[in-house]
Amino acid sequence: MNSNSDHLDTERQDNRRMLAESAQTFATKASPLTRARGLRGSASGFDRSFWGKLAEQGWTGLLIPEAFAGYGQGFGEMAAVVSALATQVAPEPVVPALVFASRVIENTGNGDLQQQLLASIVVGELIPAVAWQEELAGLQVNLLASAVVTAPTNSGIQLTGEKHHVRPGADCDGFIVTAKQDNGLSLWWVPANAAGVKVRSVALADGTSESSVRFDGVMLDSSQSLAQGDAAIVAFTRAYDEALVMTSVELLALQQAMLNMTLEYLRTRVQFGKPIGSFQALQHRAVDLLIQQELTSAVLGQAITLLDSECDPVERSLMASRIKARASDAGLLLARESIQLHGAIGFTDEYDLGLYVQRALVLSAWLGNAQMHRRRYANLTQMNTASV
Amino acid sequence: MTTTTNQTINQTTDWNALDTEAFRLMVRAFFEQNYPAELRYPKTRLRWAEIKGWYMTLSNKGWVAPSWPQAHGGMGLSPEKLIAFIEEQERWGVGRAPDMGITMIGPLLIQYGSKEQQQKYLPKIIQGENIWCQGYSEPNAGSDLASLRTDAVEDGDDFIINGQKTWTTLAQDATHIFFLARTDKTVKKQEGISFLLADFTTPGITVRPIRNIAGHEEFCEVFFENVRVPKANLVGGLNQGWGIAKALLGFERIFLGSPKQSQYALSRVEAAAQALGLFGDQGFVDRYTQLQLDVADLSALYVRFVEQVKRGEKLGPDVSMLKVWAAETFSRLANLLVEITGGSGAVAGDIEVNGKKIDVLTSFYNARPATIYGGSSEIQRNILAASVLQLRS
Repeated sequence: MNSNSDHLDTERQDNRRMLAESAQTFATKASPLTRARGLRGSASGFDRSFWGKLAEQGWTGLLIPEAFAGYGQGFGEMAAVVSALATQVAPEPVVPALVFASRVIENTGNGDLQQQLLASIVVGELIPAVAWQEELAGLQVNLLASAVVTAPTNSGIQLTGEKHHVRPGADCDGFIVTAKQDNGLSLWWVPANAAGVKVRSVALADGTSESSVRFDGVMLDSSQSLAQGDAAIVAFTRAYDEALVMTSVELLALQQAMLNMTLEYLRTRVQFGKPIGSFQALQHRAVDLLIQQELTSAVLGQAITLLDSECDPVERSLMASRIKARASDAGLLLARESIQLHGAIGFTDEYDLGLYVQRALVLSAWLGNAQMHRRRYANLTQMNTASV
Repeated sequence: MTTTTNQTINQTTDWNALDTEAFRLMVRAFFEQNYPAELRYPKTRLRWAEIKGWYMTLSNKGWVAPSWPQAHGGMGLSPEKLIAFIEEQERWGVGRAPDMGITMIGPLLIQYGSKEQQQKYLPKIIQGENIWCQGYSEPNAGSDLASLRTDAVEDGDDFIINGQKTWTTLAQDATHIFFLARTDKTVKKQEGISFLLADFTTPGITVRPIRNIAGHEEFCEVFFENVRVPKANLVGGLNQGWGIAKALLGFERIFLGSPKQSQYALSRVEAAAQALGLFGDQGFVDRYTQLQLDVADLSALYVRFVEQVKRGEKLGPDVSMLKVWAAETFSRLANLLVEITGGSGAVAGDIEVNGKKIDVLTSFYNARPATIYGGSSEIQRNILAASVLQLRS
C-alpha cells in the first residue's frame, strides 16, 4: 500500500513537472513581456482572446472537478500554470477568477447555478470576480460583510452597498457578492449587467485595474443564492485561503524573476574596472534577497501540499495568512532592492524590471498585505476558531 | 526498551530497521526517564563534571555515538534516524557534553585515520576516558582560517609545535586536542597545513580559560611551546590537513540551522510578555507575530534541507542560508526580550514580574556567538554569494 501510494506520488510529480514545462513553454511563447507591456492601461487591462487560449489549454477548468466538466486537478498543478504566467507578468485574472471566484462557487455545492457557472468558466466564456471587501484602506482584518446587506422588500430581496478592490476591475461578467442577511453571511451571484450595479474602475500600478462596485438596490432572485450562514462562511473562507496561497505562487515567480535579473546585472555591470557584483556590500544584500525568496519557496511548498490534503480549516487559514505575509513582504523587498541594486536604469519604464515591481505592488496589497495577514494570524492563534 | 548498563561496544541492534516514529518514541522515552531534570535547557554550555554522568549513561546504553558505524561502537544511524535522535535531544532540552570527540575527531579518524589511530583513540571516546577539543582558530586566523601560523617542524620521529590556538571550546575539560598546524610555508596557504593530534599531558602545552562577557569560561587559549608530537599523530598525509578539515563538514551542518534555539527563545519571549501583560499592546503583538512567523518559516526551510538529507543527497553550499536565518532570528528574539523588559533589561540573573521569573540576558548573551561560530553570518553570506549566486569577488 505504501509503495503503491509512493508510486502514485511519483507519477503525479512527473505529471506536474511535465505540466510546468509545457506551461512555461506556452507562456514564454504566447505571452512575451512585450505583450504585458502593450496591454498596460488598455480598456480592460488584459486580453479576452488570450483567455480563450487558456481555455484551449484546459487551464480555465484545471481546478474544476470532472463532475462540472473540468479537469479535477489539484493546487500543485494549478500552481505550475499560475507560476508560468506570473513569470511573464501576464495580466489575465487567473487567480481572481479561476481560483478565488471559481472555488467559492464550487465550495457552495452543486446546484443548478453552480453547475451553470462552472461549466461556463471551464469553456472560458465566463470571467467572475469576488466582491467582498468593504474597507478601502487600513489594516482591518474583517472578511465578513457588514455594510452590504440584503433586505426583503415587497417585490423580493434587495442588495445594497459598496465593495472595493474587486479584480478584475473591467471586462468581468459577474460578481460573487458577500452580504449580510439576518446577521449571517450570504453569498450571491450578480451578473455585471444587472440593474443597479455600478462598476467604477480603478487603475492599478501594473496597468491592470480593480473596481469599486456599487449595488444600488439590486433585485435578487433566490436562484442567485449560492450559500447562506455557516455554509457561506466555510465556502468563502476556504476559497479566500486558497487564493492567498495561489497569489503567493505569483509573488514567488515575480521574486525569482527580479532576483535573476538583478544577479545578471550584478555580474555584468562594470564600474571601477570590475563587475559590481564583486563588491561585498552588494553581494550581502543579494544574499538577503535569496534568503527571503527561499523562505517563501519553502513555506509555499508546505502550503500547496496542505491545500491538496484534507486539513483543518483553521490550520489552512493560518498557513494561508503565513505564506501571504512572507510572500508579500519578500516580494516588496525584492522589488525595492532590485531597483536599488540596478541604480537609475531600474527606475526607468523602458526597463522590464518595472513590470515585475508593479505587479509585486499589486499582489502584495491584494487580499490583504503582509501586516494585515500577520494580524489575522495572531487573531486566529488566539481565537483558534475557523471564524474569518 | 531495556535500560541495561552493560558496555556494548560491538553493537548489533539494527536501529535503521525500526520505523522512524517507533525509534523516535523509544529515544524520547529514554531521555525522559534518564536525563537529569536539573540539566534540562541549560543556560550555558555544561562542563564535563556536570554532564559526565549523562555521557556515561549514554555510553553504557551504547548510544553515545549515534552517527558512528556500529563496528566502532556507534549506533550506525542513517541520516533520517540521526535527525530524529538529535531532534529528540533538542525537544527534551538535553545539554551538549564536550562532544568534539563524538562529532568531530571520531568521524574524522574513521574516515582518514590509520588503524592504529582508530584503535588507540576511538574506544576511549566511547568510554568517556578521552575528552577532545578542537584547535582551529588562532589570534590572527579566524574567518581567514587558512592563514593560521601555528608551526609544526619535523624533527626525527616528532613534530615540534610552536604557536597559539584560541576560542578553543571547553579546552579546560579536555584531555586531547586535534589541531591544524603549518607544515610548509613555501606553498599556497591551504596546501601547507597538516592535521595533528596531541595529548594535553605533553610538556609545553598550556591552557588558559577566557572569560566571556556573560561571565562564563566556555572557551580557552591553548599555547604550544616546543611541544613534541609524535609523527604517529599526523592524520592523513603531510600537508593534507585543510582538505581533511573541510571534508568533515558533512550533513551535520544542518544542525547549526536547527529552529530549536529560536523556538525556545520565542517561548521565553511569550512567557515574559504574558507576565508583563503585553499581549494587549498592538505594537508588541505586531512585532511578536512577525518573529513568530520568522521562526515558523525557519522550520519550513529546515525541513526542506532535512528532506534533502533523508533522500541521501549531499548538502550544497546553499545550506548556509539556513544558518544565517536561524542565528539572526534567534538574535532578533533575544533583542526583543531585552527591549520588552524595559528598565530591567540590564539586570543580571532573573527578574520577577507578577510572580513569574524572567531571565532577561541569557538569550541575549547566547545569541552573540550564534552569529559568529561555525562561520560568521558574514562568512556564510560570502559563501552564498560566491557559490550559489555566482557573484565572484
